Amino acid sequence: MLIKRSEARAGKQRLAAAYAGLSAGGLDRRAFLKQAGLTGVGLSALGAIPLTTVRPAAAGPTNFAQPITRIKNICTHCSVGCTVTAEVQNGVWVGQEPSWDSPINRGTHCAKGAAIRELVHGDRRLKYPMKKVNGQWQRIDWDTALNEIADKLMAIRQASGPDAVFWLGSAKQSNEGAYLMRKFAAFWGTNNVDHQARICHSTTVAGVANTWGYGAMTNSYNDIRTSKTMIIMGGNPAEAHPVSLQHLLSGKEMNRANMIVIDPRFTRTAAHATEYVRIRPGTDIPVIWGMLWHIFQNGWEDKDFIRQRVYGMDDVRTEVAKWNPQEVERVTGVPEAQLRKVAETFAKEKPATLIWCMGATQHSVGTANVRAFCTLLLATGNVGGNGNGANIFRGHCNVQGATDVGLDVVTLPHYYGLDANAWRHWSRVWEVSYESMMARFDSPQMAETPGIPSTRYFDAVLLPKDQVQQRDNLKGMVVFGHGGNTVTRMPEVARGLEKLDLLVVADPVPTTFAVLANRQDNTYLLPICTQLECTGSRTASNRSLQWGEQIVKPIFESKNDYEAMYRFAGALDRAAERRNMAFRLQAECFKTYEIGPEGPTSESILKEMNRGALSTGYSGQSPERLKLHMANQEHFDLVTLRGKEGTPVAGEFYGLPWPCWGTPEMKHPGTHILYNTNLHVKEGGGTFRARFGVERNGVSLLAEGSYSKGSELTDGYPEFTTAVLQRLGWYDQLTEAEKAQIARQGGTASWATDLSAGIIRVAMEHGCVPYGNAKARANAWNLPDPVPVHREPIYTPRTDLIAQYPTLPDRRAFRLPHLGQSLQNRMPQVAPNFPIILSSGRLVEYEGGGEETRSNKWLAELQQDMFVEINPRDAAARNIRDGAWVLVQGPEMPRDKQVRVKALVTERVGPGVAWMPFHFAGWFMQEDQRSRYPQGSDPYVLGESVNTVTTYGYDPVTFMQETKVTLCQIRAA
Amino acid sequence: MKIRILALLAALFIGAAGLPALAQGTAQQAPSLADEMAIQALLRGETVHGRITIPDQRAANLIQPQGREWREFHNVTLAWVGGIAVLGMLAILVVFRLAKGRIPIEGGPSGRTIQRFNGFERANHWMVASCFIILALSGLNLTFGRHVLLPVVGPEAFTAVSQWGKYAHNFLAFPFTLGLVLMLLVWIKDNIPNGTDIRWVKAGGGLIGNAHPDSGRFNAGQKGIFWITVLGGAAVAVTGYMLVFPFFFTDIAGMQLSHMIHSIIAALMIAVMLAHIYIGTVGMEGAIDAMSTGQVDLNWAKQHHNLWVEQELAKGRTATPPPAARPAGAD
Amino acid sequence: MARMKFLLDAERCIECNACVTACKNENEVPWGINRRRVVTINDGKPGERSISMACMHCTDAPCAAVCPVSCFYTTADAIVLHDKDLCIGCGYCFYACPFGAPQYPRVGNFGSRGKMDKCTYCAGGPQADNTEAEYIQYGANRIAEGKLPLCAEMCSTKALLAGDGEIIAQIYRERVQKRGYGSGAWGWRTAYRETVAI
Repeated sequence: MLIKRSEARAGKQRLAAAYAGLSAGGLDRRAFLKQAGLTGVGLSALGAIPLTTVRPAAAGPTNFAQPITRIKNICTHCSVGCTVTAEVQNGVWVGQEPSWDSPINRGTHCAKGAAIRELVHGDRRLKYPMKKVNGQWQRIDWDTALNEIADKLMAIRQASGPDAVFWLGSAKQSNEGAYLMRKFAAFWGTNNVDHQARICHSTTVAGVANTWGYGAMTNSYNDIRTSKTMIIMGGNPAEAHPVSLQHLLSGKEMNRANMIVIDPRFTRTAAHATEYVRIRPGTDIPVIWGMLWHIFQNGWEDKDFIRQRVYGMDDVRTEVAKWNPQEVERVTGVPEAQLRKVAETFAKEKPATLIWCMGATQHSVGTANVRAFCTLLLATGNVGGNGNGANIFRGHCNVQGATDVGLDVVTLPHYYGLDANAWRHWSRVWEVSYESMMARFDSPQMAETPGIPSTRYFDAVLLPKDQVQQRDNLKGMVVFGHGGNTVTRMPEVARGLEKLDLLVVADPVPTTFAVLANRQDNTYLLPICTQLECTGSRTASNRSLQWGEQIVKPIFESKNDYEAMYRFAGALDRAAERRNMAFRLQAECFKTYEIGPEGPTSESILKEMNRGALSTGYSGQSPERLKLHMANQEHFDLVTLRGKEGTPVAGEFYGLPWPCWGTPEMKHPGTHILYNTNLHVKEGGGTFRARFGVERNGVSLLAEGSYSKGSELTDGYPEFTTAVLQRLGWYDQLTEAEKAQIARQGGTASWATDLSAGIIRVAMEHGCVPYGNAKARANAWNLPDPVPVHREPIYTPRTDLIAQYPTLPDRRAFRLPHLGQSLQNRMPQVAPNFPIILSSGRLVEYEGGGEETRSNKWLAELQQDMFVEINPRDAAARNIRDGAWVLVQGPEMPRDKQVRVKALVTERVGPGVAWMPFHFAGWFMQEDQRSRYPQGSDPYVLGESVNTVTTYGYDPVTFMQETKVTLCQIRAA
Repeated sequence: MKIRILALLAALFIGAAGLPALAQGTAQQAPSLADEMAIQALLRGETVHGRITIPDQRAANLIQPQGREWREFHNVTLAWVGGIAVLGMLAILVVFRLAKGRIPIEGGPSGRTIQRFNGFERANHWMVASCFIILALSGLNLTFGRHVLLPVVGPEAFTAVSQWGKYAHNFLAFPFTLGLVLMLLVWIKDNIPNGTDIRWVKAGGGLIGNAHPDSGRFNAGQKGIFWITVLGGAAVAVTGYMLVFPFFFTDIAGMQLSHMIHSIIAALMIAVMLAHIYIGTVGMEGAIDAMSTGQVDLNWAKQHHNLWVEQELAKGRTATPPPAARPAGAD
Repeated sequence: MARMKFLLDAERCIECNACVTACKNENEVPWGINRRRVVTINDGKPGERSISMACMHCTDAPCAAVCPVSCFYTTADAIVLHDKDLCIGCGYCFYACPFGAPQYPRVGNFGSRGKMDKCTYCAGGPQADNTEAEYIQYGANRIAEGKLPLCAEMCSTKALLAGDGEIIAQIYRERVQKRGYGSGAWGWRTAYRETVAI
């Protein structure tokens, strides 16, 4: 049998043999970059992509004659945290292998992970710093760019104060990068620093943390394998977190688990569900209350759990009583029998978990939605054990970490808040005086005032000065790793960007920010490498930290976040010097770090963070321990994530999921499942956090008769402080060194501010959880709706329900005005002209704003057109054929403008509902903006952004934007 | 086919039968509707079609069972039909030749000629003919080459031949079609079937009995060739263009059908043309002159196209010659 | 010798397209050539299923049967490969293939097809194993390295199985027994004239 030509027909000379001669001996890094750069410039349009099978040698086969290095990093796309194994030769990433050892992905990837190597081939990457001169992009060098930017920033600072600059960081930065960015903004003197968590799970963090302590996924993807019932509500993990489906479907198969999808849209996830419940968009709370109505009616709730561990459930009962099956069906469209069945399954077939994503969070009632979800879990006793819990699938690869490290307008790193105690704590960690930090701000009061969120920055540019509660409007903006098409109301965004005095975009690709507004000057692009080209840790959705090693050096002229910020700081200092300003950033902000050839080392940044991040237990994950875990991935159990006996990681949970209490030397194993009372705190056990005092209106907030395994205190207890230790008589168990540290801090400290971590150590010695042992709150009295109530979306088609379920009144927050009822009251006039509900969501091939993934040729090929899903009934009424062009208009768009997209006629959406993916940009109300990109760095695929159509609407707690329910009209083009 | 259906039914049954025995969990799920519908579609021999995000809509066909039928056609039906048609015709011609010998000009050549085809007609004929021969050979090569030529010349040479054959086949399709159109325009008036043809056919074109039947410019046999060429050529051309522009006009089923029509008609045309070539060259004395010089011997013409000769001569008599010209045959 | 096959468990496939990009990544497949694709049937309706499809490396492969230049060959592992230097781009294999596997780069004018390209089961082509010449024409040769096709190795939900037919059928069988329902072993009857008996 003929198998190999070499055997049967050796000596045949062919074309292929001739190719072999072209690049014999393999490819080195320089040749590779040269070729990659050349092809990048050459291919400016889709049509120019070569369609032959003859491939450019740039990508290069593995040359088996030369040594191959295998390097592990983490996929930069979603929060599942898949390990990426790269094969590197001569500094070129030549191949990708399955990462079998990772307990999270076990060798697998989704389309994005399997195509990730393309990111560092970089055909469409931003290759060198650029600036706009009279509307044309010009190449400049790093020093020139940074010096010019620094001069402009210092001018803004002098004229308008530090709050006039908006710092937008990224959930795609490493923990170290995001932390450094937050610290950088603090040293600049503003709280106007934010990242994608605002538009992702800010409402989850607020809602969940206000319920039981921490705003994070309570369990893990792997743990869902043990669930008996899972409800996925407002999430499409089959597209958003495909590798998580490996665990979900395994659980579904192994346990014959119920997989219930509650969603307005029949998603790819719903296709695999055992039950699909279609709801009207924006009616999550009535659905949950409707379920609880059946649960309470039939006594299916977990009465012991509620008594011991939940505060305020009776207030919930009062609200739930209003949601009888008839009212639920009237508001949500879900029939009684189906909802009863789902409620019974969830309450009885335990463990049951509730999984949600942005379908729950991106609402003007996002925080309330999430609170209702938590309440359902509490009522059925489904928190704090294997297979249950609030499994919140985060979005970006490090959105959990970036949130934790405080890249946020309302807090310093690790949820310390913005009050004076928080500033004092972090000043100590940063080895600067509290007073010197305050001096960097316009006033100490501004240091304690939450900043402007990323959903509203353009309002802070455009609104009259007296409407913005800071010294001046926003004048300058520095963006690291963020898409410009991810926030709603893009016509306003474009106007805001145009008005800025300075726009700096630091990113691997130009992003929509670079092209959306027609800016002529004062616009800079800085090439930043991907996380694959630098080291650092990132936190997956399950709170596991994973260390990524640098696969290749940053390509072209790109630099990593650490070096870019370090040099940026230096440039600011020089600019200040030129202006005789006392302001200094580099010397102070970076003094605690080891500076290497590529800027501050990630290890030294993480170690500083370890010292300060006691509150979330980010203190035990030293770089050494994280690297040990990456090197021993194969030794962790698939389901429990625990290191196997007899291995270097025995007993530890994979990635030391936070909280990993105390210092690294304490060897806390991390916490796989939060609030799990079945484990000793030293083994990863826990209780609900005592975060809101010990009693309210005479009712105790502490747990009753519930405590974590091995606790010496067998009832609820408050969080540990020096005072509590003294009262318990445990104070003297602190070592002298620990006492000395506390003395240096002023003699008193709490577990979270004691830099010696002694209080934590002593509490754990007694089996106690440092943050206390309290009840979860079904009533969160500090929120606008202490018990969630249904509020119709602002742009609701059900104007008949507005009177009964109005949105909140107009108010002010985050330095800005916030419209509510005044806008909703206009719906009776608006809704008739915009009869279709528009929702948005994710495609598996793209991520976030999509600029990076649409620049990846392997991904871009799979989704070449922006589209709108429309029900066959609505399509037929409008004479719209599948695949035809249609025009979509939103109520806030200019009258004569529409977006032009392709129709996808499908029953995925119900009648009266349309859906669009949110990854597209580059067309703006039918204007093709391809020519505005720097040459050779335009993404392969461009399209209209859904956010050109989306409208006003913000969550009162976090200013999360409403992207899931608005109105639109669609007609054939 | 029957066995296939039974097996599929069995698969369906096994899928369903597995359920009750194992139905103990709470979250049971029947084999999905999609699976069942797809199996049903397969049973009916239909394509299983779905949605795909890439622009190539051909890729949305998940399974097309028609490929099997096409394979059967290509490897069996076409090979037999084509083989029998071509080899059969060759055999008939050999037998005919042996039985009847070369058809002579009765009474021998007269030495006087008459113009049968003008230069344009001849040029067009030869353009079509040469295209046809190359198209036929390259076409036959695709069907029979791997069995006949490949073992002789080896894979590389055979691929080279076939590759050039493919190019030639694709490009010569255009002049071939053009030639057909011109043929149609130039010769259609002489190829309208009439009563003479019936008599000609009854007489077997002269093979039955001794009296040669009457014939106009073209006898019924030639008219048959003409119409086979024009109509068959049109069918082959239309289907051929479908194949040259793959999936531009039609889907996979259309492509398969196009190929089937194209190849069967082409094979039959090749057989017919073999007879045409035989009779126009070595099979009949004097016939080749018509397409070489265009001047045929008068006796040949009278023998085969007596009515046409009369017509032509009558035309010559009635026509007013140019003043300086001498009347034909005056010398 | 092993009899290599693909098996797609439609119960697991979520149309994540990892198989598609893994294939592009491993073999540097150019834009417009889709050696593997995912088709969703019954889209948007209950019972929707997605199926990842590529060359199934059939028993008695139709492509090989109809190829006018006999450019196909079957390896000892029963992988159906072809020699691009012999292919003339006639398109016959596409007409015969039940799975739409053959792909043709567009060359020249009027839809003229270049040499056919298809899934190689990550087994390269006729040249010497893991040479640059082989890579450029056919892509990677993981089989020669003792690995399986990357599409299956990277499948997010392990819906796509590759390997010896007996072994993957056994994996699938166990899965079906565990969960109590099958998903039809997509394409097996057509490709291998058999199905997985449960």
